Amino acid sequence: MSDLAHPSKAGLSARGGHLDLVRLSMLGLVVALSLLPIIAGGFLLYSLSLCFANALAVLSVSLLVRYGGEVSIGHSFFVALGAYAVAIVEHRLGLSIVVSLPLAILLGAGAGFVFAFPSRRLSGIYLAVATMALALALPEILIGFEKFTGGFEGLYIAQDVIPGIPKALQRYYIALLVLVLVCLALAHFRKSSQGLALLMARAQPRAAEAMGITRSWARISIFTLSAALAALAGALTGFASSTVSPNSFTFFSGVFLLVGSVVSLNRLSLPAALVGGAFITLVPTYLAQAGDWVPILYGVALVVVTLIANAGDLRRFRPRRRGR
Amino acid sequence: MSVAGFIRDILPLLWSGIISGCLYGVGALGLVMVFKSSRVVNFSHGNLACLGAFVVYGFSSGSLLSLSWGSAVALALGIACAVAVISYVLIAPIVFKSDLASTIATLGVGLILQGAVQLVFGADIVNLDLPVPRLSFSLGAIRISSYDLAVLTVTLAIVGGLFVIIERTRLGVAFRAVSTNPFACEVCGLNLRSVHLFSWLAGAVLGLVAALLIVPTTFLSSTTVPSFMLQAFTAAVVGGFSSLPGAAVGGILVGIAMNLFSFYVSPEFMNTFLLGVILLTLNFFPNGLLERAIGGRV
Repeated sequence: MSDLAHPSKAGLSARGGHLDLVRLSMLGLVVALSLLPIIAGGFLLYSLSLCFANALAVLSVSLLVRYGGEVSIGHSFFVALGAYAVAIVEHRLGLSIVVSLPLAILLGAGAGFVFAFPSRRLSGIYLAVATMALALALPEILIGFEKFTGGFEGLYIAQDVIPGIPKALQRYYIALLVLVLVCLALAHFRKSSQGLALLMARAQPRAAEAMGITRSWARISIFTLSAALAALAGALTGFASSTVSPNSFTFFSGVFLLVGSVVSLNRLSLPAALVGGAFITLVPTYLAQAGDWVPILYGVALVVVTLIANAGDLRRFRPRRRGR
Repeated sequence: MSVAGFIRDILPLLWSGIISGCLYGVGALGLVMVFKSSRVVNFSHGNLACLGAFVVYGFSSGSLLSLSWGSAVALALGIACAVAVISYVLIAPIVFKSDLASTIATLGVGLILQGAVQLVFGADIVNLDLPVPRLSFSLGAIRISSYDLAVLTVTLAIVGGLFVIIERTRLGVAFRAVSTNPFACEVCGLNLRSVHLFSWLAGAVLGLVAALLIVPTTFLSSTTVPSFMLQAFTAAVVGGFSSLPGAAVGGILVGIAMNLFSFYVSPEFMNTFLLGVILLTLNFFPNGLLERAIGGRV
């Protein structure tokens, strides 16, 4: 992953024909997805809307890995924060996701900032341990604050964004729209000076410091961004499934988000996000009868993909000095 | 709350905190051993311990076989060590390349073990007791049971044994050298892999012992283990992730703090409390509470 700090080859040949092909196929994918509801039926649309929402959550984990070089097992916390923000706003104030979406993002960013602050100077493994605690604490927090969260039963999200349009279509198109917008924003972020500064803080901390970007500040800001994105994903998950409950935010949902991110090779593109989101959404849906095999399957995927992505040339199977 | 009532409550709370804290410490020692030598945070630690405990249950209760408790434990130790070796061999190609990638891989191993436990033993909750005679006596306000004494004896024996190995044997010297400067060790011709394997095996044994001893106070199911893992992780963070004595002391501190919190505040927010402990420790004592006291290394 050391090539992260350099502009990608695709970016360099931006004026060549190569990128146009990439752009065209991306556009084709979006058009195909937006035309899908014409032929697809209810359950598939529902699963796909969840896929899109989960793809966003997977993107938030990948963002952290790519820009921060850190692993989070507990992003389900921020996802839950977004989902419950939407649900609670609707129950308390009677307002729809249009109002609560920005609120969810702000809450996610705030929580991410507060959470990342203590481990700002430490190596990434401390953050991984802390996020594990976050994921384990989440269910008891959701159940403990029953007054707001509805306890075990959770809450329903019933309000439409645009009245009069069938619910399934609303869920589908809003999730797709947000996913595409976020992917575009991430592609733009990659080229922006802020994005490059964050990448530099990771690859060349000293050089970045000389230019006024400390490593700890870069860590906090990337975690904050990632948590905000996770909360946005959570808001859409809640909207897409029209219900929130502690069952969907266990320790394992946090781990599964990481699985999705690893399976998509931590890439930040639309197809990668869709692969990751589909992997963690559709496998449990369509392998429901295989119940106990799901963790094994995910575990194998995690080990195999990590090994293949990082091992490189397996013949050099001998100790090497660990790079910084 | 009256002063007399406080004194009556506090001593038993401290005592039971120390007892369970010993076990968190033993669990944390396994994590720290693995981390010190190979820079990998072993997220499969708890799942492996859980698998071992289930093997003991399955082979001693008659649900798979009905062996004696001792031979079931021996079998479980064998299986746990085999799994530890297999998981180290699995991630060996990337151990020296990326700390983060190998840490993710251990999470994958943990998921596989979790699924294996669910497949073989189901999602039921089971009881697994220690084969010690049920005795108890009072010492002032504290009630001491045979279980407490068994925990103390086993913990002291295993921690003592570990420290003797690390301080007195060639393997221990190699382990300390590798945890201080792996590059220099490699230059001197030391086989890093064998030191890694030693720490992974020690981690598996420590994890299994801690799980077997903690299960009688709670219960055993495929999902209670992440919680036990969290307590061990908290102990490791409190003691400093790369300090062995820190892990032991951190475990006892966490045990006492958890007992006090669940008695005086709320037993329902245990994991949230541990999360708070982790965040506060990372913020104010990034290298563990004992950094100054016993000179933990950065």
